[in-house]
Amino acid sequence: MSTLKRVARARAKRAAWSVAGLSALLLCGSGHPAFAQSQQPSAPAGQQVQPGPAAAPASDNSGFLSGLGVNGQLLGNMWGLRPFLGEYGMTFTLQETSEVLGNVTGGFHTGFTYDGLTTATLQLDTQRAFGWHGGTFDVSALQIHGRNLSVENLGTLQTASGIEADRATRLWELWYDQKFLDGDWVDLKIGQQSLDQEFITSQNAALYVNTAFGWPAVPSLDLPGGGPAYPLSALGVRLRAHPSGPLTVLAGVFNGNPAPTTVGDPQQTNPSGTSFPLNGGTLAIAELQFSFPSTGGMTYPGQSAVLPGTYKIGFWYDSESFADQRFDNTGLSLANPASTGIPQQHSGDYSLYAVADQTVWQDSDDPGHTLSLFTRIMGTPETNRNLLDFGLNAGVNLKAPLPGRDSDTLGLAMGYVRVSPRVAGLDRDSQFYTGAFTPVRGGETYIEATYQYAATSWLQLQPDLQYVFNPGGGIANANGTARVANELVLGVRTNITF
Amino acid sequence: MQTRNRGVPGLTGWMSNPNVNATYSHRENGAAVTVQDIQAVSRFTIGIAGGLLVAALVSAPPVLAAAPQGLLETIHRHVTVTSTVTDNGDLNPYAVVVAPVSAGKIRQGDVLVDNFNNASNLQGTGTTIVSYNPTTKKTTLFAKLSQHLAQCPGGVGLTTAMTMLKSGWVIVGSTPSTDGTTATLGRGCLLVFNPNGELVATWTGPNIDGPWDMATIDNGNTATLFITMAGFDVPAPTVTDAKTGDPVIVNKATVLRISLSIPPGQPPVIANQTVIASGFGARADKDAFLIGPTGLALASDGTLYVADAIGNRIVAIADAPTRTDSAGTGRVVTQDGLLQRPLALAMTQEGHLLSCNAKNGQLVEVNPATGKQIYAQWIDANQAQSPPGNGDLFGIAMAPDGNGFYYVEDDVNTLVEAVR
Repeated sequence: MSTLKRVARARAKRAAWSVAGLSALLLCGSGHPAFAQSQQPSAPAGQQVQPGPAAAPASDNSGFLSGLGVNGQLLGNMWGLRPFLGEYGMTFTLQETSEVLGNVTGGFHTGFTYDGLTTATLQLDTQRAFGWHGGTFDVSALQIHGRNLSVENLGTLQTASGIEADRATRLWELWYDQKFLDGDWVDLKIGQQSLDQEFITSQNAALYVNTAFGWPAVPSLDLPGGGPAYPLSALGVRLRAHPSGPLTVLAGVFNGNPAPTTVGDPQQTNPSGTSFPLNGGTLAIAELQFSFPSTGGMTYPGQSAVLPGTYKIGFWYDSESFADQRFDNTGLSLANPASTGIPQQHSGDYSLYAVADQTVWQDSDDPGHTLSLFTRIMGTPETNRNLLDFGLNAGVNLKAPLPGRDSDTLGLAMGYVRVSPRVAGLDRDSQFYTGAFTPVRGGETYIEATYQYAATSWLQLQPDLQYVFNPGGGIANANGTARVANELVLGVRTNITF
Repeated sequence: MQTRNRGVPGLTGWMSNPNVNATYSHRENGAAVTVQDIQAVSRFTIGIAGGLLVAALVSAPPVLAAAPQGLLETIHRHVTVTSTVTDNGDLNPYAVVVAPVSAGKIRQGDVLVDNFNNASNLQGTGTTIVSYNPTTKKTTLFAKLSQHLAQCPGGVGLTTAMTMLKSGWVIVGSTPSTDGTTATLGRGCLLVFNPNGELVATWTGPNIDGPWDMATIDNGNTATLFITMAGFDVPAPTVTDAKTGDPVIVNKATVLRISLSIPPGQPPVIANQTVIASGFGARADKDAFLIGPTGLALASDGTLYVADAIGNRIVAIADAPTRTDSAGTGRVVTQDGLLQRPLALAMTQEGHLLSCNAKNGQLVEVNPATGKQIYAQWIDANQAQSPPGNGDLFGIAMAPDGNGFYYVEDDVNTLVEAVR
C-alpha cells in the first residue's frame, strides 16, 4: 500500500472514530465547554475556567489521583480515555462547580442552600483528526443540581450565583468553528451557541460569583428566555475578525429566543437543550474590541511598563415581539380590572453596552502582582418593553494578594440595575386599583467581596460575601407588608477540574 | 537557539541588508528632490528659497531619525502557522529549529519543534518532535519516543536544546521528570536522531545534567555543540529558601562544549567535552518547572552569549570555540531593564541578540557590542496571563532569509512566524 493510501485510510478511520465519538456524546446528551487549541475555554456565567495551557488528554503513566497537586486535572489521563481520544484529535474536559450559599439577613426567609454544576466538553481538532486545517467541533453538556437560593430566599434581580438554574441534564453548546485566511485571522462559528462565552465579557468580572458579573442582567432579564446564555443557547452564526493590531470585531446572528415559545419557563420548554428552535425572531449582536498591548507593539528602555487594558463597545437587536410592561392591547393598564390582560406588543428591542478592563498598578519586582479595575455599562432606551433599562458593574481585583499566593485573586465589586419607569408605573397602577401593598420598584444594588484561593492547579476554593440593597428593586416580602429587607449572603464555592 | 555555519559571515552590518538599504536610498532621494526644489525657486526670491530651505532642514531630521535601529521595528506581522500538538496530545512547545538541509523526512527550511509536556500537561514528559513545511503548510510528526527510555536517565522530556546538522542528524536534549516537577528530575541525556526521526544514539555522562538549550558550529564532517546544563542538584520546588520563600537556587549550572566528529554515513560521535562556563544559578519552579541558564547564541568572533535567567541578564563567554577552561559566569553584557527572565536567544543578521522574556510576552533586542537594550516587541500579548504573555514564550529561531523569525506560544501550543 502506498504511503498516501495508508495516510488516507488512517485519516478516514480517524474521521469515522471522531464523528462516532461526537455522535455518541450527543446521543447521551452529555458533554462541557472546551479547551481547543485556539478556542477560549468556556464556562457558564460567573464560573471561571482556570487559566493555563490548553487542557488535553493525558499520558500513559498517570493513573487515578497520581497527579494530585501537580497535574492540571485531578484525574490525569482518566484511565486512558484522554490519550485514546487524543489519538483522534479530541480533548475532553470535565469541571465541577459546587457551592453553599445562604442569606443570614433579609430575603423572603433566611437559610443556606447547596447548588452545583457539572460541565463536560468534548472538542475535536480537525487538523489532528483528519488533516483539515482550522476546524473545531465542540459539544458540551450541563448537569445542574441542588437548589436555587435566589428564587427560594432572595428574590433578587441580580441572582446570587451564575450557576443557579433549574435542575437538569441538558445539551449546552454544539458548534463548528472554521478559521480562514492567511494567519487564521478570521473565523466563523456556526451552530448552537451560548453568547455569554464571547459577548459582553469582562476578564476581571469573571472572578465573581454573582450572575450579573457573567451574562449581565440587562439582556438577561429583557431578552426572551434570558437570551442565548447559560444554561441555554441558540442556533446561529458568529464571525470574528482579528487582524494584526489591537482591534477585534465580533458579530453574530442567532435565533431570537433560545426556547421554542415565549410562554412559560424557557428552561422547561427546552428541557434537554435539544429543541433547536428556529421559530423566533432574530437576535443580532456585534462588538468592537480594543486591547493593548497588542502583538507587534513596541516598548523602549526607560519606558514605564505598559499596563494592559481591554475596551469593548457593542449593541444587540432582537426582532422578536416584546410585551409592553404596563399597558394592554386596548391602552388600559394591565393592573386595571377592566384590562384584557393582553399586553400591547412592540416590535423589536435593542441595547447598547460598553466594557472596560484596565490594569492600573503592577509590582515592579513581581509583574504578576497587579491591581485591575473593570466596569460594564448596559442600557436601553426602550423602557416600555423592558423590565430593566440600565445596568452597571464595577470592581477592583488584586492578583497575588499575599506572599507566595501567585495564583490567588482578591476582589471587591458592585452591581446595579434599574427597573424601568414603565414597570414602576404598573406598580403605581396596582396600588391604585388593588389597594394592596405594592411597592414601586426602583434600583437594586449589591456589593460582593470574594477571595479565590488556588489550592492546586485543579482545585479552587472561593469564600464569598454579597450584600444586596433593595432586593428585587424593592419588592414586597412574603407577608406583603413591607419591602424585602436587605440581604447579607455568605458562602463558599469550589471549582474542580477533573 | 543559534546555529552558525563556519565560513559564513556571521556578523553582517545593517547597511548590507538589502531591505534596509532600499529604505535608506529612498530617503536620500527624497532629500535630493527637496534641494532641487530650492534651486528652482531661487530665481524668484531668496526669501522664499530660504523658507523652503528651512522647511527642508526642519523636516529632514525626523526622516533620518526613522532609520531602523534593529530588526524588531521592521516586524509587522505575526502569523500563526501551525498547531504543535501531536496525535498523542503532547503540549508545551519548546525548541524551534530551521532545517539547514533536506534529508530523510525533512526538507530544507522545515521548522522543527519539540514538546516538553505530555498530554497530561506534565512538564518534563514530552517525547515528540514535529516538522512544519512552510511551502506545503503541512505539519507532520518527525519523531516520537517512549517516555521511559532506559538509556536516558530519568526518561524523556524534550527541551529547548535542539539542533539539526548539515549532515542530517538531529540532536535534542532531554530533561525529564515523571510527575511534572523537579522532585523527580532525572539527569537526562542528549538524543541523536537520523533524518527519518529514528533514534540512533543516546549520550549521557557526568557533564550532562538537564540539557536546556543549544548553539552549534557546523562544519559538515565535524561540529561543535554548546549546551546549557541546568539540572545539577536542583531539588524539588518544595525545598525553599527561608529568606525568600522561593525554591532554593543552586549555583552549579554550566555551559558544556561538545566536539563531534561525523563519519560519512555514520552518526556523530563525541570527540571531547569541555565545560566552558559554570556557576550559573538554577532553581525549581512550581509553574515553570526549572529556571536556569537557557538561551545560547554564538557570534562570529567566537563569543558565546548566554541568557542567565536567574540573574536576569545576558552574559558573554569569550573564545567559546577554543577556550580550554571555564570562564565562570562570563562578562555581563546587559541586565534587567527590558529583560524579564530571558530564555531562548537568536542572533539577527546584523549581530543583535533577540531574547524571549519568560515573565511577559516581549522579545528584547540587544546590541551585544554596546550592551544597549534597543527595544522590545510584544510578540505574545495574551491577556489571559498577567502581565500579557507571561510564561508563553520559549524557543525562537531566525528565518532562513534573516528578515523574520519563528517562535512558539506555550499558551496555545502554536508555532508563529514573524515577518516584515
